[in-house]
Amino acid sequence: MSPPLASPVRHAPAPPAAGFLDGARRALTGTAGTPLVLLGNFEVEDEWAKGESGLPMLAGRNSAAIVNRMDEFALLLAGPDDHVVLKSAPDADYLDHLASLGVELPTVLVTDVQDPAHSVTVDALRSPRLMASLRELAGRGARLLPHGQSALEDELCERTGLASALPPSPLVKSVNSKIYSRRLATELGLPLARGWECETVGAFEEAAEEAVALCVDQGRRVGVKDAYGVSGKGIAVIDDSRRLRQLVRMVARGAAKRGDDRIALVIEEWADKTTDLNYHFTVGRDGSVRFDFVKEALTQNGVHKGHRFPAQLDPGHIAAVQDASARIGARLAADGFHGVVGVDAMLTRDRGLLPLLEINARNNMSTYQTSLQERFMRPGSTALARQYELSPTARVSFARLRDRLGDLLLDPATGRGLIINNFATVNAAAPADPDGRPWTGRLYGLLLAGSTAELDALDRAVAEAVRKETNPDD
Amino acid sequence: MTTVAHTSATSADAVSADPQIVAAIVTALCDVLGQELTDITAETRLFDDLSLDSTAVLGLLMALEDALDMEVDPESLQQHHLESVGALAGFIAESR
Repeated sequence: MSPPLASPVRHAPAPPAAGFLDGARRALTGTAGTPLVLLGNFEVEDEWAKGESGLPMLAGRNSAAIVNRMDEFALLLAGPDDHVVLKSAPDADYLDHLASLGVELPTVLVTDVQDPAHSVTVDALRSPRLMASLRELAGRGARLLPHGQSALEDELCERTGLASALPPSPLVKSVNSKIYSRRLATELGLPLARGWECETVGAFEEAAEEAVALCVDQGRRVGVKDAYGVSGKGIAVIDDSRRLRQLVRMVARGAAKRGDDRIALVIEEWADKTTDLNYHFTVGRDGSVRFDFVKEALTQNGVHKGHRFPAQLDPGHIAAVQDASARIGARLAADGFHGVVGVDAMLTRDRGLLPLLEINARNNMSTYQTSLQERFMRPGSTALARQYELSPTARVSFARLRDRLGDLLLDPATGRGLIINNFATVNAAAPADPDGRPWTGRLYGLLLAGSTAELDALDRAVAEAVRKETNPDD
Repeated sequence: MTTVAHTSATSADAVSADPQIVAAIVTALCDVLGQELTDITAETRLFDDLSLDSTAVLGLLMALEDALDMEVDPESLQQHHLESVGALAGFIAESR
């Protein structure tokens, strides 16, 4: 672990002067003017995990519906000459609101069908009209820029003739494995938590016994992670040796039933963190590596909840993540990868840095904030990206929410306020025939303010306004 | 304390749910969610009413293995088995 360092400073993420997306466009397609077709296939990990054996994990139907409507994030990353494929047209008042802020929006292409249980790519593949439009764009030299490249996006490219800005899915999948991340950290000599990479049931059984002896019996927790799990989701945190052995037996039973003892899991000692970090770089087709930014990541029980930036970091930590970016990026390039990369890292209680917890060689949540922060964030201002949970019983219109939020929304003249950067997730889990029972909705926003105190006050005010919207009788 | 009382489309599971299994599920849910739960019925929705998340499912299954002295077959578990307490009770009954 790197030594503790003093003098935290505010490190502005400062995207490159040319702008993040245009830099990525040039790096990933070779030319500055290539039109892109953005596709927000969030939780692409579920596709990478197909055929891999990990932990028995299932999420609810509504959770999937919300995740699938995170496709709307792509709207605010794309440039005015780009196209974005969405599962449904955005709320017209939301588009008007964005235009009133001066945001230059891309052209929206909508899938012919919209199944809440399906990702935008699955819906796109079942949409003959959309596919015809994509073929036409392919003829004009457009490239696909998906959230991440899986077999589904390979198929979309093959069937439309669109070339992807990313490599084929087998390569992209391989560098997204948590086993790959751990082995790369070891190879590069980067500090990492004690852990074991397990590719067979036998290896898992042996690793679990070592983890019991070295960690659990010493009072330290371990995390068992799916190699291809979504960050914070495919994970079991265990502090009891009996439970760990029980989990080993469960995984072994599953493997025996399949008649295949291959698995893809890691066991890691659970580090005692103070701050989660997410840093971001772009690996070009030519092997160049551009450091983009580092942000503080907000998590709850390991699940992503948002970002704060500028991150409060020591100069040494900033240098360390920049150095790690260059070295990890070079190694990814040597393995044939090019694309956008986010790395999860953490500061430990002694202000040490674990610079490589996991590589996410796909768009990250922080990626989708870049165009907005470039446009609206001012020197000295501070930002919070977060989500607000709603429990509506009837569909919420953007106009109604806009009126409820009123002056809390961004004032472009002052550069302060809330920018809603995904509205589709509010009604994503709405039943076809609402029956009076509440459903879970999620509103995503980027908050900008002149100070941390002002930012926290704005956050509280937005949370209260959102709560009143879905609990009008309060 | 969370109070829930809901009806759902899984009423078939609710009618046939084994009370012993339902009681074990409620106890396991209290353990996994770290809170006291009242008014849980076979029709209570695990994700929508109780805010169970995907990471808690594994802990729930292991707690049920302990409580009912059984082994869960994780390969057989499907999303619809987690729609409600009654649906999960049906899956557990089949697994025993």
